[in-house]
Amino acid sequence: MLQTTGHGSERKTSVTDPALKPRLRRRGAFEYLAWALCVLLGAGVLYSVSTNPNFQWGVVAKYFTEQTILNGLMLTIFLTVATMLLGTLLGLVLAIMRSSRIKPVALTAGVYLTLFRGTPVLVQLIFWFNIAALYPNLTLGIPFTDIGVPVDINTLMSPITAALVGLTLNEAAYMAEIIRGGFSAVGKGQIEAADSLGMGSWTKLRKVIIPQAMPSIIPATGNQFIGMFKETSLVSVLGVAELLQSAQLIYARTYETIPLLIVASLWYLVMTLVLSYPQSLLEKRYSRSTSRLPRKAKKAVLTEPEGIAR
Amino acid sequence: MSADGTIHARGIRKSFGPKTVLHEVDLDVACGEVCCIIGPSGSGKSTLLRCLNGLEEVDAGVLKVNGEDFGYYETPTAYHALGRKRLAQQRTRIGMVFQQFNLFPNMTAQENIMAGPVLVKGAEKRHAAEEAERLLASVGLRGFGHCYPAQLSGGQQQRVAIARSLAMDPQIMLFDEPTSALDPEKVGEVLAVMKDLAKKGMTMVVVTHEMGFAREVSDSLLFMDEGIVVERGDAREILANPKEARTQAFLERVL
Ligand SMILES: Nc1ncnc2c1ncn2[C@@H]1O[C@H](COP(=O)(O)OP(=O)(O)OP(=O)(O)O)[C@@H](O)[C@H]1O
Ligand SMILES: [Mg+2]
Repeated sequence: MLQTTGHGSERKTSVTDPALKPRLRRRGAFEYLAWALCVLLGAGVLYSVSTNPNFQWGVVAKYFTEQTILNGLMLTIFLTVATMLLGTLLGLVLAIMRSSRIKPVALTAGVYLTLFRGTPVLVQLIFWFNIAALYPNLTLGIPFTDIGVPVDINTLMSPITAALVGLTLNEAAYMAEIIRGGFSAVGKGQIEAADSLGMGSWTKLRKVIIPQAMPSIIPATGNQFIGMFKETSLVSVLGVAELLQSAQLIYARTYETIPLLIVASLWYLVMTLVLSYPQSLLEKRYSRSTSRLPRKAKKAVLTEPEGIAR
Repeated sequence: MSADGTIHARGIRKSFGPKTVLHEVDLDVACGEVCCIIGPSGSGKSTLLRCLNGLEEVDAGVLKVNGEDFGYYETPTAYHALGRKRLAQQRTRIGMVFQQFNLFPNMTAQENIMAGPVLVKGAEKRHAAEEAERLLASVGLRGFGHCYPAQLSGGQQQRVAIARSLAMDPQIMLFDEPTSALDPEKVGEVLAVMKDLAKKGMTMVVVTHEMGFAREVSDSLLFMDEGIVVERGDAREILANPKEARTQAFLERVL
């Protein structure tokens, strides 16, 4: 089909239209070298992994769908969903507080963000688990009166509660920053337009600010969600039987440490991949070029104005 | 007689930090009057206009809009800023049109126009939709209700923005350089809507560089420079024979 001849005069009519000829990308020697190295390395790793008996792939297969592991996975999913939901809600509140015109309110949120973003989550988790050392008996009630319900913090702060509290409070700080970033992307003119119509703060937030902040908030939240899925493994130090801890419980008994860590890792990997697909869709949907028009926008059929009269 | 549609400002002062942008500005606009404000860039025109609907807080001075103290209430010793609810309520009676249109991009033209009546006044949706259609037709955009701002030209967006303000049934309309962001050939369609509005007796304060509009439509004219009203009076009179040297210099440059 594709014909090339030395003499222009001999060109057949079936020659590909010059405008349609493919344009080939230039490939340097480095690119070929990179491919070669990559293939070699891949083959090497694959060979080693499949032939080294210490990986104990049989054990991996056996435990991959073991009930204990699946229960752990469920708990991990629950922790992720619960902390993301609560964290986002609290983050929204913090973001609103942070941009408040009332100084003490904004300051409170600022201190919160500094504290929770400035210390490691792991430390925070252990801290909440041991909070009873600070406040052994908390009384929920009205200050300066005798009315109240005493609460034994030690029994209240079960490992799971500590995990939920710790992860949520930490996530809220990060979500607050994401949401605030989204808010500040909404132009000043939009706020002024809403103000000049006499909109109250709540309506303005719900109908003008949040819808316009969503395109930047949603993909970032998706990323946080994927991150949180793996972050939950930290609560294993509290003895919460989530995915990692479930694996640890088994290998503490059987000493099959590596295979069980592989089981847990595979699950984390699978879930991350599963979550990445909707995440990439979200990112595409809300990327700059496509978010100019809301998704329900119909194709505009523009007609001539009919003259100005009221 | 009702004081609706009037503005009376005395000694309005406004500073941003150390910089005083408005020095003791007085302004009187009668009901149904069209008042144009002209002046060089940075002279405080926008700031004055924004003070009139509370987008900027006035530092000192008396401001009465629609016959009411605007944005504050008076006690024997001081003026106290109004609560947000009360301020919002006063604002509903003043329409504002911005240079950059500032339509809500997440709403269609119709939803933009319905936003005020439905979200602020609690009007019935169906009724507000009919009203929006009527307003769209009145600015020459019948059938454009389903378009999002991004699908409209600048001139069309600005006309939707005017309709959005009118939907609140304001007594006063403020315009801040409504045609400055438009392509030259779109200026006319927006000015036509404004002329139409003036003819219907709307009180209007218009910051503009369109001297033709000022001459044709405006009743009174204010020339501002460096936060001071340098000259004021009948629009045609000032444009034809400016008295102050600064006004003469400015008009020479723009005409
Ligand atoms: N929010 C603000 N903070 C600080 N300075 C401001 C603010 N808004 C306006 N200014 C200053 O006040 C002065 C008057 O501004 P204003 O926008 O009222 O001028 P203008 O007459 O509308 O000019 P233009 O024709 O360019 O729109 C300018 O020097 C400007 O820099
Ligand atoms: Mg201006």
